[in-house]
Amino acid sequence: MKKLIALYVPAATLIGYIFLFAPLLVLVIYAFNAGRSTVVWEGFSLAWFAEALRDRGLRAGLQVSVIVAIASAALATMIGTSAALAVVKRPFAGKNLFSTLIIAPLVLPEIVLAVGLLVATVWTGVPLGYGTLIAGHVLVSIPFSFLIVRAAASGLDPRLDEAAADLGANGKQAFLRVTLPLLAPAILSAFLLCAVISFDNFVVSTFVSGVGSTPLPIQIYATLKSGLTPKINALGAMLIAVNVLVILVVMSRYLKTIRKQS
Amino acid sequence: MPPDITTEPAGVSRAAIELIDIRKAFGTGAETAYAVDRLNLTIKAGEFFTFLGPSGCGKTTTLRMIAGFEEPTSGRLLLDGRDVTGVPAHQRNVNTVFQSYALFPHLNVGENVGFGLSVKGVAKDEIRDRVKAALDSVHMTHAIDRKPSALSGGQQQRIALARALINRPSVLLLDEPFGALDLKLRREMQMEVKEMQRRLGITFIFVTHDQEEALTMSDRIAVMNNGVVQQVGGPVEIYERPANRFTAGFIGDMNLIEARITARNGDQFTLEAAGSRIDFPCTLPLQPGDACILAIRPEALHFVEGEAGGSVRFSGALGEAVYIGTDTVYALVLADGTRLHARVRNGDRPMPQAGAPATLACAPSAIRLLTQ
Repeated sequence: MKKLIALYVPAATLIGYIFLFAPLLVLVIYAFNAGRSTVVWEGFSLAWFAEALRDRGLRAGLQVSVIVAIASAALATMIGTSAALAVVKRPFAGKNLFSTLIIAPLVLPEIVLAVGLLVATVWTGVPLGYGTLIAGHVLVSIPFSFLIVRAAASGLDPRLDEAAADLGANGKQAFLRVTLPLLAPAILSAFLLCAVISFDNFVVSTFVSGVGSTPLPIQIYATLKSGLTPKINALGAMLIAVNVLVILVVMSRYLKTIRKQS
Repeated sequence: MPPDITTEPAGVSRAAIELIDIRKAFGTGAETAYAVDRLNLTIKAGEFFTFLGPSGCGKTTTLRMIAGFEEPTSGRLLLDGRDVTGVPAHQRNVNTVFQSYALFPHLNVGENVGFGLSVKGVAKDEIRDRVKAALDSVHMTHAIDRKPSALSGGQQQRIALARALINRPSVLLLDEPFGALDLKLRREMQMEVKEMQRRLGITFIFVTHDQEEALTMSDRIAVMNNGVVQQVGGPVEIYERPANRFTAGFIGDMNLIEARITARNGDQFTLEAAGSRIDFPCTLPLQPGDACILAIRPEALHFVEGEAGGSVRFSGALGEAVYIGTDTVYALVLADGTRLHARVRNGDRPMPQAGAPATLACAPSAIRLLTQ
């Protein structure tokens, strides 16, 4: 019996990993396929990477996605950080309700949010485009920046604020010289995570992007309709590489702060 | 003619801090509790003043109100004669040494110590010189480029002191600063801080729950309990003449025995305490029938055999004996079950057996009569 359990745990782990990563692995492998098929291997080639980079539609989509990711991540991080600091450091009425509402987009069905946003834009007459796209992405990424910065801020010794005030620093000086530098790693992590979330977003983007502001995921989906070629695989492989890089940066920063605290 | 020692130098009698009818309430309505209640106190400039009491007695809240981290619910707070009630912490000329040190983890030692000068816009050259001097005074010049996390607790303590004192505050607040240090280092730091206070002449306000620390370091002590100051006085007065039951029980070991006045003849009282009749001279305004408490230090009691005149005597059966090196602490169980502890020097006589009848005695002058 004991032996069985000893075998079960690594086996289950292995199956889990295969389930998680096999599709990605297949996708990356076929990005290097010489033929047009995404299931039959016909030899090694980098042609599809060139093809993907040459595709005007995909390039335009990539540009939209990068701009929207940076803008929405910047806004979401600012709003999330302010909200987190308010919740951690200031007493105010309805704090629990406020916290719940700000992370609500996390648990609400995204499709409902998307439809709501579209209705709102129609009502207010705001034209669909970069503005609506960025607003939508800010909405879905605020919970993440809020949660990350709140966790870091509640880990700060509240005496540090008092020490700063005690030494003559006014609110602004204490924030710029003590709070902000100590939260910088968390704020950077929040920014990167929000950027990735925006970059990957599909549902909200589908509803609120306009002509000339189609982000990459939707562009890819449109390409799929006209036939699946390893071009998409090549693009996917590049996106995975960028995402992994971002995650590595975030993780290494995170590990560094953990090590410092211990 | 010898100098009049009761007259203090002009600078010493000036008030550094005046707390006028300070109250600090927590909660509202029927659940209102006072962390500090009707506190009236004047702390003189240059004084080493200690708030002493058990945790939750309001001593830290008082310190935090002086620092400006908390505002009193009512009452006024004067700093150097100026009303600072409602003035935010960063505009008060006081500095704090925190219990957890609260050094800025992202700044090195030099930047930590220079923080106060830097936010006030002092020139870089002057900051550098004063940081060096401040670190020198706590023997930490070598650590100027290190991060606080690379320092030991005692070293961090010194940095915290330097960081506060570099601002030349009129009052330095210390919130249980030695709580996290081991005994040997604590003694060392106590000596050093006391010496520093004498040298600088700055008013130090110290908070501790350690009565020994309070007695050894302070010029004056305020004993607090449940938000109320129980007694204010010098270490000798607090130890030898406790004003009430709480102070008597909190400072040092003390036998507290319930007693009742049975007769009075001028200043000569007769008391009934734990089944014993005691004749006792006293000037307190007490009448026969009044309840009171006898406070006797264990070291004031000794064993007697037979009749000895002029002393107060308690008879009972011997209970447990605890050997503590030079002395042994004996418990004597009195007729009504009260336990009386006596601290007796070893070696003078054979150890009495537990359960044997015995009599403890002390001089009437060693007994303190308390009414509350």
